[in-house]
Amino acid sequence: MTLLNNIGALRHALDSEMARDSSVIVYGEDVGYEGGVFRATVGLQEKYGKDRCFDTPLSEAAIVGSAVGAAINGLKPVVEIQFSGFVLPALNQILAHAARMRNRSRGKFNLPMVIRMPYGGGIRALEHHSESLEAIFSHIPGLKVVIPSTPYDTKGLLLSAIRDPDPVIFMEPKKIYRAFKQEVPEEDYTVPIGKAKIVKKGEDITVVAWGALVREAQKAIDEVEKEGISVELIDLRTISPIDKETIIESVKRTGRFLVVHEAVKSFGTGAELISIVNEKAFLHLEAPPTRLTGFDITVPLPKGEHHFMIEPRQIAKKIKEVVEF
Amino acid sequence: MMFDFKFADIGEGIHEGVLLKWFVKEGDIIKEGDSLFLVETDKVNAEIPSPVGGKINKLFAEVGDTIHVGNTVVIIDDGSGDNKVESKQEPLSEDEKGAGVVGEIEVSSEVIESSDEGKEEEKEARSKALATPVARKLAKDLGIDINLVKGTGAAGRVMKEDIHGFKEDKGLEKSKEVKKTNIFAQSGENTLLRPEIKREEIKVYGEVERVPISRIRKTISENMVLSKSIIPHTSVMDDIDVTELVKLRTEQKEMAKGKGISLTYMPFIMRALSIVLKEFPVFNSSFDDIKDEIIYKRYYNIGIATDTPDGLVVPVLKEVDNKGVLEIARELEGIVERARNKTISLEELYGGTFTITNFGALGSSYGVPVIKYPEVAILGIGKIDKKPVVLNDEIVIKSMMPISLSIDHRIIDGGDAGRFLLRLKELLSNPMLLLLS
Repeated sequence: MTLLNNIGALRHALDSEMARDSSVIVYGEDVGYEGGVFRATVGLQEKYGKDRCFDTPLSEAAIVGSAVGAAINGLKPVVEIQFSGFVLPALNQILAHAARMRNRSRGKFNLPMVIRMPYGGGIRALEHHSESLEAIFSHIPGLKVVIPSTPYDTKGLLLSAIRDPDPVIFMEPKKIYRAFKQEVPEEDYTVPIGKAKIVKKGEDITVVAWGALVREAQKAIDEVEKEGISVELIDLRTISPIDKETIIESVKRTGRFLVVHEAVKSFGTGAELISIVNEKAFLHLEAPPTRLTGFDITVPLPKGEHHFMIEPRQIAKKIKEVVEF
Repeated sequence: MMFDFKFADIGEGIHEGVLLKWFVKEGDIIKEGDSLFLVETDKVNAEIPSPVGGKINKLFAEVGDTIHVGNTVVIIDDGSGDNKVESKQEPLSEDEKGAGVVGEIEVSSEVIESSDEGKEEEKEARSKALATPVARKLAKDLGIDINLVKGTGAAGRVMKEDIHGFKEDKGLEKSKEVKKTNIFAQSGENTLLRPEIKREEIKVYGEVERVPISRIRKTISENMVLSKSIIPHTSVMDDIDVTELVKLRTEQKEMAKGKGISLTYMPFIMRALSIVLKEFPVFNSSFDDIKDEIIYKRYYNIGIATDTPDGLVVPVLKEVDNKGVLEIARELEGIVERARNKTISLEELYGGTFTITNFGALGSSYGVPVIKYPEVAILGIGKIDKKPVVLNDEIVIKSMMPISLSIDHRIIDGGDAGRFLLRLKELLSNPMLLLLS
């Protein structure tokens, strides 16, 4: 066991998997010599050489497109997009090629590749650095989308993602890269993709969150529990495919549902979750399934960003609204 | 290792308490089992012992604070040294501080709980109604708790007709006027029910002083309202000729004293009661009026209403039916004493099946005792006095003990109460029977 923050867990997972499996390669902008702008890949080039960890030109389309080729040819590329907002030039490679290669080749080729990207706001960054695009990727058949919220899950999910035979979008909530530490086993383990985690059992309402908002939801829950409301908190962990079973089973017990996400409201993951709840747990519902989300706007610049970010008191208020419906 | 001491669940239904006193301060060295603090809960004042030995690292509450179950109250360093990682932490390097090229990232060494990934969790079943929003709305409008309605639809789904049917069957008075919670539900939570009566503000016509009541007073107050709003009480009174019992007790008093026991009448009465309760099991039951079932208890734990400086406390003597008079006397003295000086444990306050109140101790003869919900009867004992009694058309002097029995008239009738008292009378008038039974 060693105490690591989320960045430490990422680096540790990449390091141990590169040591274990020589087909794993890691690259992206500033990833090699500098060790990444958030320091996720520090020391990897030194340890494994420039053939396995290297810098690329500023071309996201090339980063992902080359990964598709590398994966077809038997490597396991783990590529970094410096910020999720920079991924847009690579969307054609991701949606039209990475996601479809298995289907297009009638199962002849599969692409064991991971596209890592920091995402989300709350760090007072510039425009196109703060968005949460998980719904866009989740809308595409053929992609898995994973978001860890703790160091333990970061390592376990990243190892699962690298070993997955198909492309995984690995989104990292950068706000909590260094916000806390957790014991992470040094030995090999994985956390399964597609399995949500019940962070806390409760009886009156099911709250689903992921990424940086899991911690904010926990703070809100500490508050409302003082008032006698018992909350079940689920960390979704995998956005696609959604762990329907865990959520439905929980809502059947609690009768109430709230999803909290930082991404914009409309056409989002919250809407999808609410549809699942309506379809599968309708007769158990005691209040309308509800979402608390970002506004339908571009994330504001640093000065106004706090208006956009979701805080524990808002979550607490929403929980009470749903429970008292 | 730093031991995070959380205020634990110390007994049924206790969710919070007021911190009355710290026995330790930061930096103190303590042994396992040393008292950490004194907390006043709804039921009792409890000294909370430390589960580990070590050094008090930090206190998280002050005297007068309300602490909730689960709150961290104190952190104790148990000296095992596992906290090396924390205490010997190296200063953050430039790299660690690095928040990337843009933005400001929160950097902290806060340690979150270890993952419990893969651990089995127990699944608990909870029965909530299946229903459409339309049906829920209907139930809400009619003031009906939909969870109480038996559903006739697929998989037990509550249909609109079921709700209408429930309304006609049970009548509204049940669910509307007194909001009920099934106290026998497995959750064990003894949610108090209270009639929702609108109260007007109390008008005063002169100088007054408003004094907040203590927690114990509040508990008593809630329990009394609970009992009186649910149980239709009725009472029966009588006098028992205890001349023989007085003689027996006087004879045996010295013998008991020799064994360090002060022998009162109460152990004889409790012994007699344990016999009568077995013969009349309904007096040792509870009534679940939500399921319409009587819960007969196969254990006989008798509570003694005890007058303490803080108010009424009811310590419970367990398994009275398995104990002799002297044994009862010895244990009784102990629990009453502990109730008076507030050192009684919570266990000794729970599990009663029948209660005795002794208003004779203060000189009264008759009373109308209030049943300790969810028990169904209570016996009041008056002062034993010599009285003129007519026997075979002659006036003779007898020692008489007045008794008052209150019963829950929902499940016990006056006739049952009469027969119960008759048998009690028989046993207490002929104390030899106590030994033979």
